[in-house]
Amino acid sequence: MNTEEEKILQLLKGVVDPELMVNIVDLGLVYDVRVNESEKKIDVDLTLTSPGCPMGELIIEDMKQLITVNYADYKVSVNLVWEPMWTLERLTEKGKAALGKN
Amino acid sequence: MNQIASQNAPSPKVVIPHFVFGGMTWLAVTTLIIFNPEAFTQHFFNPLLLSITHLLALGWITMVIFGALYQLIPVIMEVKLYSEKMAIFSFILLGLGAILLPFSFWNSQLGSFMYVSATIIVIGIGLFVANILFTALQSTKKSIEKIFILTAVIWLLFTVLAGLTLAINLAHPFLELSHLELLKLHAHAGVVGWFIQLIIGVSSRLLPMFMVSHNLNTKKLTFAYFFINIGLVIGIVSLFIEQANGVITSVFAVVFGIFCYLSFIYEAYKKRVKKHLDIGMKQTAISYIILILPLSLIFILLFKFEILETLTLPLAVAYGSTIFIGFITSLIMGQTYKTLPFIVWLKVYRNQVGKVKMPLPKDLYSEKVATIQLWLFALGFVTLLVGITFTTNNIVRASGILLFIAVALYNFNILKIVFHQPKKIE
Repeated sequence: MNTEEEKILQLLKGVVDPELMVNIVDLGLVYDVRVNESEKKIDVDLTLTSPGCPMGELIIEDMKQLITVNYADYKVSVNLVWEPMWTLERLTEKGKAALGKN
Repeated sequence: MNQIASQNAPSPKVVIPHFVFGGMTWLAVTTLIIFNPEAFTQHFFNPLLLSITHLLALGWITMVIFGALYQLIPVIMEVKLYSEKMAIFSFILLGLGAILLPFSFWNSQLGSFMYVSATIIVIGIGLFVANILFTALQSTKKSIEKIFILTAVIWLLFTVLAGLTLAINLAHPFLELSHLELLKLHAHAGVVGWFIQLIIGVSSRLLPMFMVSHNLNTKKLTFAYFFINIGLVIGIVSLFIEQANGVITSVFAVVFGIFCYLSFIYEAYKKRVKKHLDIGMKQTAISYIILILPLSLIFILLFKFEILETLTLPLAVAYGSTIFIGFITSLIMGQTYKTLPFIVWLKVYRNQVGKVKMPLPKDLYSEKVATIQLWLFALGFVTLLVGITFTTNNIVRASGILLFIAVALYNFNILKIVFHQPKKIE
């Protein structure tokens, strides 16, 4: 990940899973962030803790909104991916600690 | 698969009325307990208790389950609900039947009034069953949860058809079996076949999702499925041909099956990543503790211990109460806080990101009110059991008052959630 992609990842810490009340980055739901500066495109690969998670749509909407506000001239796409499947190992230490408390 | 479950969600107009109707019915039942406590202090085959049980089973429990299922089926089967119109018709007919049938029991109006009420229920439930089966046909997803739900739905249809047969047999006896045995058959098909299996199907998906529990042994659920269904079929045939040993075998099989399921839920609880149990999950946990009561009482009733002979009738009433008012009601009240706020939250905030202030789904109800409601409910339920065991009307009445306040608070929270309005960003 380059600096810009790292910056977006940090930005996405502002998106919280409404059921678990932990941000999607510390939950390990963001698999990849790709910025294509020449085509002005930002792609994010996202998964959910469970395929049935009914919150997906709003989480994606929230992510797009947040990125668009900061990168107004970029086209933002969020791709929902299911492989590899999300496991507990994807949680960051902060995520684990937050889930233990919440 | 690149699909989001919420895109398959039905219109909230289909789901929400079920919760409101259910909550109001449960409140009405608590007033009936206050003014008619004698329903719980005599033989269980009395018109008042039959009315209360049917109001609870149809107007409260089945009603809320229908609403919740319309939301959850797309999550579990990953397809849209077959028909929202059918769901609305089913709601109207079930609501009407759930009021008329208990009314006919209350006034001991056997005959045409009862048949018409029962038929309305059969049609309403028939529409629901067809809707779920057609939805399942569109889904290629295979899972044990789906199998549990579909089997439960078939048992529901069997239960209401058996109920209609009972209603006809009550006015024009044509079956040789006693009404009491037929009632046991009808009740257990409903409780085990419909409620318990449906609860297993839905909770084995939802509870691990809420607690973030992974790597669970789903073989336990497969065992549960076979033991419960084989046990239930043996039980129903044995009750019909009056084979006591068959009934005993069936109880052991069903209870073992339920323990397999409980072991799965316990595993999910132990492996949970989300440690804190919120108010909805606390009430859910309490309902599983309550479940120990009917699972123990069934053996006491089955073996008719001499020492407890004088208590047999009150214990039979207590058995039913621990299932309907205890386990299932507590579970539904708890899970309401886990599902309804999300349903309304999605409805209100879809396409609103960035335009309005976004609360969390849990901010849609008052946690303080929910906490008071939970403990008043627990106290009311224990008081009810004491009143039933000692056949004391005043204690049952006192339990009715406690439950009334608890359910009024529950309804307050339901309405607070349903009428939630977004706040504009200044």
